Amino acid sequence: MLQLHSVTKCYGALTALDSVSLEIARGEFFGLLGPNGAGKSTLMSLVAGLRAPEAGTLTLEGRALTAGDITGRRALGLVPQHIALYQDLTAEQNLRIFGELYGLRGADLRTRIAEALEAVQLTDRRGEPVKRYSGGMQRRLNLVAALLHRPSLLLCDEPTVGVDPQSRNAIFEYLERLNREGLSVIYSTHYMEEATRLCSRIGIIDHGRIHALGTLDELLMRLPFEEEIRFPVTPTTAPLAARLGELGEIATEDSVHRFRPRPDVKLSAFFALTESFGLPPRLFTSQRPTLEGVFLHLTGRKLRE
Amino acid sequence: MHPIFALLRKDLLNFLRNRAGVSLTFAVPFAMIYLFGQIFGVNRKDTGPVGIPFAVVNASSNPAAAKLLEALKGEKSFRVITDTAAPGDARRPLTEADLRLLMQAPGAPFRFALVIPDDVISASEFGLHLKFLSNPRSEIETQTVNGLLQKTIFSHVPELIGESLQARAKGYLGDARLKGFNQRLATTISSTFGGDPAEIESRISAGDFGFGRLTAPTKAAPDPTLRRLDPPDPAPPPAKSSGMADVFSKLVRIDSEQVVGANVKSPAATALVGGWAIQFLLFALTASATGMFRERDAGIFQRLLSAPVTRAHILWSKFLYGVILGLVQLVVLFTASSSFYGIEILPHLGRLALVCIFAAGACTSFGMLIAAIAPNAEAANGLATFCIMLMSCLGGAWFPITLMPVFIQQFSKLTLIYWSMEGFSAVLWAGQSVVQILPILGILAGITASVMAIAVWRFNRGRIFD
Ligand SMILES: Nc1ncnc2c1ncn2[C@@H]1O[C@H](COP(=O)(O)OP(=O)(O)OP(=O)(O)O)[C@@H](O)[C@H]1O
Ligand SMILES: [Mg+2]
Repeated sequence: MLQLHSVTKCYGALTALDSVSLEIARGEFFGLLGPNGAGKSTLMSLVAGLRAPEAGTLTLEGRALTAGDITGRRALGLVPQHIALYQDLTAEQNLRIFGELYGLRGADLRTRIAEALEAVQLTDRRGEPVKRYSGGMQRRLNLVAALLHRPSLLLCDEPTVGVDPQSRNAIFEYLERLNREGLSVIYSTHYMEEATRLCSRIGIIDHGRIHALGTLDELLMRLPFEEEIRFPVTPTTAPLAARLGELGEIATEDSVHRFRPRPDVKLSAFFALTESFGLPPRLFTSQRPTLEGVFLHLTGRKLRE
Repeated sequence: MHPIFALLRKDLLNFLRNRAGVSLTFAVPFAMIYLFGQIFGVNRKDTGPVGIPFAVVNASSNPAAAKLLEALKGEKSFRVITDTAAPGDARRPLTEADLRLLMQAPGAPFRFALVIPDDVISASEFGLHLKFLSNPRSEIETQTVNGLLQKTIFSHVPELIGESLQARAKGYLGDARLKGFNQRLATTISSTFGGDPAEIESRISAGDFGFGRLTAPTKAAPDPTLRRLDPPDPAPPPAKSSGMADVFSKLVRIDSEQVVGANVKSPAATALVGGWAIQFLLFALTASATGMFRERDAGIFQRLLSAPVTRAHILWSKFLYGVILGLVQLVVLFTASSSFYGIEILPHLGRLALVCIFAAGACTSFGMLIAAIAPNAEAANGLATFCIMLMSCLGGAWFPITLMPVFIQQFSKLTLIYWSMEGFSAVLWAGQSVVQILPILGILAGITASVMAIAVWRFNRGRIFD
């Protein structure tokens, strides 16, 4: 539904996005994973029409997205990285304004506001000015404010900063539900845990470039094995242990097999093998490869430094 | 709902939510207009000592000198001081020797003093011999004191001038010849108009030419001997006379007529209120325009612009909001002045509202321009304060522009304050019709349009929406 083709955006001498090409399919939960200053927010702002790119094209549902075109934006919802709410107004008043801007009104607007407040558990505090909310509550309101007009593509720019684990979970569940109901999401974050949990596809971005693009597994498979994998010595694991010699060194000590793959062996090859023996991943205790590792591998630096 | 109105509603809601903002917009102007009125002495219900402290030392035994002193004491704009603290709790009369010392002392109790010397009337000079000491720290104050002093002398103690004439004549002619002259004059008057020549002569030699009667408030018992010197009873002045019972106005018969504003109930307040109102408005509207920086910093513009809202929608909703806020504030200010000072607004309500809308528009555009060119709220507030002060001064909100050099006056007409005040006084003071105020409204609209054009252009090039 959304295509970016060789999109470049500069701030003066700084190239914030460098020839980024990307395609998001309908119903996808796309994660944009990258450290501070990677260009995530810049990408969001281009899609939301807040800025125009220096080069490249963006199309939404086959229609070119230009900065001046406001009708195309009805299909979009933007959750800004910073809490963008009127602090002196109540949750209800805030939602009402943002709904009105999309032409909603009357009973329809009222029901949607009630639903939205319910979804983020703010119903009983709806009459209080936003400035009296906790940070997490403001985040939740910041999120639903972008959903009243039922966009088909939601741009979530780090929506969980400063949210406690419980509220974070509530937000995740809410987004997952919406996604199941057909909402496409672009979700930017520098938490690999979030990308791992939520996203059906992930783009790794750094210094304005997309370094890798794919499902979690696809990304993990790009990672060469550098660590040792341990699994118990049992009758079911014996056939695997016998075959692993092809991929690296295998040693057995006490009741534990220790496998050290050759550097050129892909993780996917290992998992393909374990799957062929019907072995569940929980048997393998090695530090599972993570997106963090992928990031480090691709960019040569840590995700958060 | 059109996005502009949704945004406008939001701004109004936000404004009402902000209690400090509301009270600053309404309560403060209300209080200020009251205080200003008190300070400028509009409709003063006189209590306590007021007026310019003015020391008077009377060293003359001439009865007219005592009369002059009384007259000065009766002048509302002076607070006459004749004594000073003496050792103990006592007070003693001021002497000429005290004056310079007291005036030069820090925290001087007065800056102007008059000495009526022993030789207030002398044979060597025509006129009165008075000593006026001043510390002309303020030009306006000094001019006021001079004018008031002259007025008081001429209108209250004209005998002094007569006496002075006689004294001078004596110097020229010598005693004997003056006496002869006076006698002949008295006989001529007596034979022409009637009356006792001896009495007339004694009066003439005392310098009493009847000037005093010219200004005497009652004409109940005109002196028969001199009645022909009295001007015929003047017809009642066509409108308000200047109010000064000035002897010259009687001798020369200047009928003054106030052509504009004669029927205005509270002239001083009416002239002042427009200037105050527009200054308040400028401050309030600049503050509201610089509120845009807060919205920018909160990232609200991103949210708005990602909705089907354009920059123009945001700017024009702010503009409309400013005009509405300004209009409401002006209505409050004029209501305040009408209740405190009796300025009549009801008969002019429609036209006043019209001027208010156009003035509010011009002020809002100014605020928008400031927000458009300043990099942040602090800079905007500083810049706004400077510009508002400058415009208020140039535009005549502080003192009449006619007091300024002609060169500067040209710049007055470039300020929206000047034209707003012109608009207010055209309605409240001159009572002009809608058609008559059209040119002023046109100029205000022109200012608004051009300032907004620059502001919008700057907004589009600037970073506030970035
Ligand atoms: N308005 C701007 N003017 C100039 N440079 C900017 C602007 N916005 C972003 N940048 C620069 O562009 C680069 C990308 O910034 P961007 O905000 O897109 O990063 P991000 O991935 O969202 O980072 P974060 O995780 O910290 O939010 C950064 O180097 C940043 O300094
Ligand atoms: Mg960001």
